[in-house]
Amino acid sequence: MKIQSRRAVIVLFLLGFFIFGIVFFVSSYLKNASTWVFYSGNKHIYKNGRISTGTIYDRNGLTLFSTEGGKVKYNSDKTIRTAVMHAVGDSEGNVSTGALYAFKKQLSSWNLVNGVYHGNGSGNAISLTIDAKLCAVAYEALAGRHGTVGVYNYKTGDILCMVSTPSFDPENPPKVDPDSEEHNGIYMNRLLSSTYTPGSVFKLVTLAAAIDNISGVTDRTFRCNGTLKIDGGKVTCPSSHGKQNLSEALANSCNTAFAELAIEAGANQLQAYAQKAGFNSVMYIDGIKTAQGKVDVTAASKTDLGWAGIGQYTDTANPATFMAYMGAIANNGVRVTPKLLLNSKSKQTSVLSPDTADKIKTYMRNDTILNYGERNYPGLHLCAKSGTAQINGQQPNAWFAGFLDRKDCPLAFVVVVENGGAGSKVSGPIAGKVLQEAVKTYAGKM
Amino acid sequence: MEVAVLNLNNLFCDVDLTSSSIDFVSAFLSTFSQIYTFAVRWIMPLLAIAIVVRCVLPLISKRRKSAPWGYLIMQNGVELPLYHWENSIGRSRLSDVVLNFPFISRSHAVITLSEGHWVITDLDSKGGVQVNGEDITEPTIVTESDVISLAGLELRLRNADAAAIAERTEENSGVQLSPGSTMLMIVIFQILGALQLFLAAGKDIKPTVILAFFLFIVAESIHYFIFKHGVKSFELEMLAYFLCGIGLFAVATRSPNAVIKQFVAIIIGIAGYSVFLFLLRDLDRAQKVKYVIMAAAVVLLLLNIFLGQVRNGARNWISLGLFTIQPMEFVKVAFVLAGAATLDRLLTTRNLTSFIVFSGACIGTLAITKDFGTALVFFCAFVVIAFMRSGDLRTIALICAGAGLAGLAVISFMPYVSSRFAVWRHAWEYANSKGYQQTRTMVASASGGLLGVGGGKGYLKNVAASDTDLVFGIVCEEWGLIIALTVVFVIVFFAFYAVFSVKSCRSSFYSISACGVAAIFLMQTALNVFGSVDILPLTGVTLPFVSNGGSSIVTCWCLLVFIKSERFVPRRAVKSLT
Repeated sequence: MKIQSRRAVIVLFLLGFFIFGIVFFVSSYLKNASTWVFYSGNKHIYKNGRISTGTIYDRNGLTLFSTEGGKVKYNSDKTIRTAVMHAVGDSEGNVSTGALYAFKKQLSSWNLVNGVYHGNGSGNAISLTIDAKLCAVAYEALAGRHGTVGVYNYKTGDILCMVSTPSFDPENPPKVDPDSEEHNGIYMNRLLSSTYTPGSVFKLVTLAAAIDNISGVTDRTFRCNGTLKIDGGKVTCPSSHGKQNLSEALANSCNTAFAELAIEAGANQLQAYAQKAGFNSVMYIDGIKTAQGKVDVTAASKTDLGWAGIGQYTDTANPATFMAYMGAIANNGVRVTPKLLLNSKSKQTSVLSPDTADKIKTYMRNDTILNYGERNYPGLHLCAKSGTAQINGQQPNAWFAGFLDRKDCPLAFVVVVENGGAGSKVSGPIAGKVLQEAVKTYAGKM
Repeated sequence: MEVAVLNLNNLFCDVDLTSSSIDFVSAFLSTFSQIYTFAVRWIMPLLAIAIVVRCVLPLISKRRKSAPWGYLIMQNGVELPLYHWENSIGRSRLSDVVLNFPFISRSHAVITLSEGHWVITDLDSKGGVQVNGEDITEPTIVTESDVISLAGLELRLRNADAAAIAERTEENSGVQLSPGSTMLMIVIFQILGALQLFLAAGKDIKPTVILAFFLFIVAESIHYFIFKHGVKSFELEMLAYFLCGIGLFAVATRSPNAVIKQFVAIIIGIAGYSVFLFLLRDLDRAQKVKYVIMAAAVVLLLLNIFLGQVRNGARNWISLGLFTIQPMEFVKVAFVLAGAATLDRLLTTRNLTSFIVFSGACIGTLAITKDFGTALVFFCAFVVIAFMRSGDLRTIALICAGAGLAGLAVISFMPYVSSRFAVWRHAWEYANSKGYQQTRTMVASASGGLLGVGGGKGYLKNVAASDTDLVFGIVCEEWGLIIALTVVFVIVFFAFYAVFSVKSCRSSFYSISACGVAAIFLMQTALNVFGSVDILPLTGVTLPFVSNGGSSIVTCWCLLVFIKSERFVPRRAVKSLT
């Protein structure tokens, strides 16, 4: 029988292979179960292809989405439903940056031990940082124009307002015609996923590069006669601004002065300050990836560098990332990454020196007072910069970005209206309405 | 790790005291069912682990004392102990009794303890075997008074003394765990599971399902009480009952109408098991029965070829009026027996011709009927048995290479097979076509987590074949990964136990067949479990003792006899020695 025990080892070989297979399965289970479970065919999580688990609240406990007995319910107010549609997401999962899709793991309460089991059968609740009523104000202020409004707390990172238009009522989703102007990019959250030519708001990047790299720039006098000739090319202003210091040049949004500064600071420095401001990289908002604004002046001619310095050339900016740059200027040069989940923590990155940030802040405040008018923004203590970004053959995109220089209400914001016209005239009033509402609700309570 | 917490508000909000009492009862039931599921999800996995551990520990810690049954005494007084029922004698290092003399053949003779007598057989040795001076040509009984001579080397036989044998037959129990408590735990496990299914089904519960569970629990308890005093250990049977119970859970969710059928199959299986236990217990009888069963298997093969009906691409069903069977399942029993042989036969007739012919017929039939999964199971058992018999690695390697080429040919030329191979490891790319079953199994297993979503509350039950080919997925989803892994562990243990007990087997007849069964169980489980989660191609074989399927269940119980055969200690034989 000795010989038999020897030969029985062949079964142990088989057993070895089998156990290897089990180990392989268990390890791929541990690695992939969280992916497998969210496959769209999983009826534990989706009913008729719709996510059917969990509850979503806004920062004040207003219910934005809930599931009761497998039935999906949104907020009862149509304007609110439409205003927060991109933040919450639609139940078909078309808005991939929406909470329903991006936070499905938190919503379903899936974990390795319990699987999708939950005692009461309706998943987990999550609270978003947005204020749904503030979003509704922003939605109405946009008044049917395509664009986006973003407001966030530059100390904590909480996004209070995130609205993108066109939008729709998720309770009665429209038949979307992707080619129509009306539905253009209807599933896209423009704050997170779009990029636009920034125009003059980009001067805030050039300004930072100039302050740090050109000695005596803050005491310099600039002369503008309407045109700056550079190596055969030229940069023009709508009118000649005459004699001005740096602060006045920003308030005038003088193209020739800032083209000159961009060329003087050099391509390398402009590129470096654009990276610091968040260009050429994506931002993760609780795991949701933003689009990437781009600045590339490495191979630009002198003229092109001048144009790049005033936010034209090939420059593009993502509104959410630019809003975070506004936050960094307001917050002594420290950028707090915006966030959407009330109980998550934000990343902090130092992007400017406190000194530089402070100078830019002073100039932006001066810009508001000289240019946009304190009476248009009473009591806000607004620091802002407008942008009217020229695009070939179309009405310019209207930008308005900045922040409130207030300890009791530390908010940064961005407003973009597509093909809207002049930044301060079109986007400024929208920002004013939303910020007044925010201050009314939150001043002293943040 | 987070623990799911019951939302009590939600639990009681349904209870409206002003509504009619029927509403109140249904509200109470739904509340109770939620609390029940919450508790049972934790209790059952723990119970499953306890049951398996309590069954396994006594089996692997019980070792018979290795006292010899007798001695061969050389003329110079040296005693050569005979430790086994079957002992080979020869010059080879692997002989049980090594006689290192040039005139002794490598495998010279076999001395066997049979029916209380020692029997010596010459293995066509050069020098021959003489008993009391006469050359023997047939197995010959020898006693203490006979003089045995191996090519002139004289030996005498001495039986071990009574005390040593008495000590040997008594098992040395390392771990003693009351089998009664283990059995009780199994019954509790099954009642808890059945109640969970009952509560989950609510008004839709079928009375036949309740009846089947009730009868099943009664049947296994009766079996336990009958055999409590008859056989020394009931652990292997208890493990099989544990698996059958989980199988019934899966059948009850997927095909409630088939639960009674599955129960009847288990009963027939236990009957078959008892009959085989009786038939195979006696080695002489087993050797005679072997040929009857092989003849019956040939009939089944022919029936399959001529009367077979196609289901799911394979022609492996035959209809017998009231019910249908899969004949190739039953052939597995004959196949294992066909390969078995006692040590003297093993060492005299070294050729495998008759076994190869029988295997060829089986695998050929499976190829004709396009049942390639089962063909793979048979082939695996063939390799194991052939190696156990011949020990010839080179031949086995050649056979495997040949089979590999044949397999490649099948994969490339049979559209039905090659389409399954195209999906293999790419199931997610075909998630709604050919990879549907595999992806849904993975999704279900992930949804279940370690503890499951609760019996009857899964969705895999709506997928075709989820209580047969995908049964691993249904167990994962509804009862959790822990219980699913204990099921796999039991199969692993069956195979391990077959190898572990070869040394103490009474005859190589039993050890070969036990290893053959181990190969069948392992291969079936591998193809079933790994096939359903896209680690292997999905071939549609059953998970032993668990999958829905009458033929499969009956066969598994019959095959279990071979794993058990290590326990065949013929009391008569021992008594006559003492």
